[in-house]
Amino acid sequence: MNFLDYLVSNSQQIFFLTQAHFLVVLIAVGIGSAISVVLGLAVSTGEPDPRRFSLDWFATGIREGGLVFTAALLTVPSLALFALFLPLTGLGVTTAIIVLTVYTLYTVLRNTVAGLTTVDRAILESARGLGYSRLRRLLTIQLPLAWPVILNGIRVTTLISISIAVVGAVVQGPGLGVLLLNGISRIGAANSFYQVFAGTLLCLVVAAVFEIFFAIVQRLTIPRGIRV
Amino acid sequence: MIVLEGVEKIYPGSTQPAVSQLDLTIPQGEIVMLIGPSGCGKTTTLKMINRLIEPTSGRILLDGRDVTHVNGDTLRREIGYVIQQGGLFPHFTIADNIGVVPKMLGWDKQRIRERADELLHLVGLEPSTFRDRYPRQLSGGQQQRIGVARALAADPPVMLMDEPFGAIDPITRDRLQDEFLEIQRTVGKTIAFVTHDLQEAVKLGDKIAVFATGRLEQYAAPDTVLTQPANDFVSDFVGGGAAVRRLSLLDLSRLELHPIETDEKAAGSRNGTPVVEVDGAGKPVSWRHLPGGDAAGTAMVTVPISGTVYDAVDVMLDGCASLVAVVDEEGRAQGVLHWNDLVGGLRTRERGA
Repeated sequence: MNFLDYLVSNSQQIFFLTQAHFLVVLIAVGIGSAISVVLGLAVSTGEPDPRRFSLDWFATGIREGGLVFTAALLTVPSLALFALFLPLTGLGVTTAIIVLTVYTLYTVLRNTVAGLTTVDRAILESARGLGYSRLRRLLTIQLPLAWPVILNGIRVTTLISISIAVVGAVVQGPGLGVLLLNGISRIGAANSFYQVFAGTLLCLVVAAVFEIFFAIVQRLTIPRGIRV
Repeated sequence: MIVLEGVEKIYPGSTQPAVSQLDLTIPQGEIVMLIGPSGCGKTTTLKMINRLIEPTSGRILLDGRDVTHVNGDTLRREIGYVIQQGGLFPHFTIADNIGVVPKMLGWDKQRIRERADELLHLVGLEPSTFRDRYPRQLSGGQQQRIGVARALAADPPVMLMDEPFGAIDPITRDRLQDEFLEIQRTVGKTIAFVTHDLQEAVKLGDKIAVFATGRLEQYAAPDTVLTQPANDFVSDFVGGGAAVRRLSLLDLSRLELHPIETDEKAAGSRNGTPVVEVDGAGKPVSWRHLPGGDAAGTAMVTVPISGTVYDAVDVMLDGCASLVAVVDEEGRAQGVLHWNDLVGGLRTRERGA
């Protein structure tokens, strides 16, 4: 049979796996972003006064340490990290989601911190001069102004997660990795190439759907005044 | 009214105070210009009034109330604050920017909307056009106007301005300064204004406070600072040209001008009074007769009576004329000012002005 026939006859399975892939990425990115953004908000207090000791020093420590730690995690090959979690959380969806979440942390945290700390100081000073409390400044001025950068970080991390999720299949994680892994392990058998090709193609489709989703979110959440 | 009593600021690790033992009273409804070279403490002083910088010692009183130790954020909502780069929030519309403090104070939406429109009118921007725009769609001058509008929004009794027109081109700056004076005539706020431009200080200030390395060197009316500098520092700072700059403080409306005649009354024209030829609207067109002078060869230059002697000099130099006809709002001749009057002593109608 040709590729089209293959797609049609396996449409139910393919559709199910695509859906699963989409969902697992959505969940992991969602959790990872939430953690990173909240953490970023808590520790982005700017440069503390080197001459005085204050709580800001703890924030700086957590921030820089956090960035280094999550960056280090990113260098671990995903295959290895999935395998490392096996004895802890076993096979299946849980492990896949946990590992995927770990990989989303660095990019989003980095972008959150960068976004928050590069907001124009004049704007923050004028906000303070108008009577904005620190918390209000953080939430109504810094965060919205940092949002385009943060959103971009989430967008990038999503694309990376789509690829990493494929590897999750080795620990029986959900998604299109199942199709790809199956195809690769049976190279030479019937339809094996079609499986690989379908898996790859549908990853691109998932990426495209996410891109459209982010474009809409961007349009809706970024005011015209700061739209690039 | 703003009172600074023994206010001092010493940064940790410094031996020299940034501001030392300052006693300053800014009277109700007046504009006091804080001026001095870089690092003199003028901006530090300004920021201590609204406690953006905490004083190391001393007291700050606003309208008799000691605000040295109250909550800084709540205090600042009652004080207007304008900075050089405007500091408008780029993600808020113009209307939202203006309404920032009223919103924090809990005003209802309708009242905030009306207030924003009222202020847009006050600063010369059409509300329907500008209220829904974003800061980046506005020019620098327009942004600064919004900055001022925002500071006025909650109608604070006191305003602090930190070189607000410093980053604007000279032509727009001139216009903004004129409009600012107009607005002050309407709202009568108590204002502390930091500038490094002596011209601006003389033009806008009711009083000038000259600072040098943290100390107040002189605090007096612009005229006094220019003509009676308190010490060598002030006199060096004011620099040469004080006598010329002083001309901008003399309003033509306060002077006794030489009489002028229009050619309708040509009957008495040979008695030493300059005669002008006027057009149908009564505006001077050329000189008909100048006592001891060449009427035909002298350019006709005019200056409005609302201007200053400085404007008259400017006009005379521009037209290479040794006299200028002072005209009223409709352009009709009111009197004449001679170049020689400048050194011969200008006579004012009021005594000791």
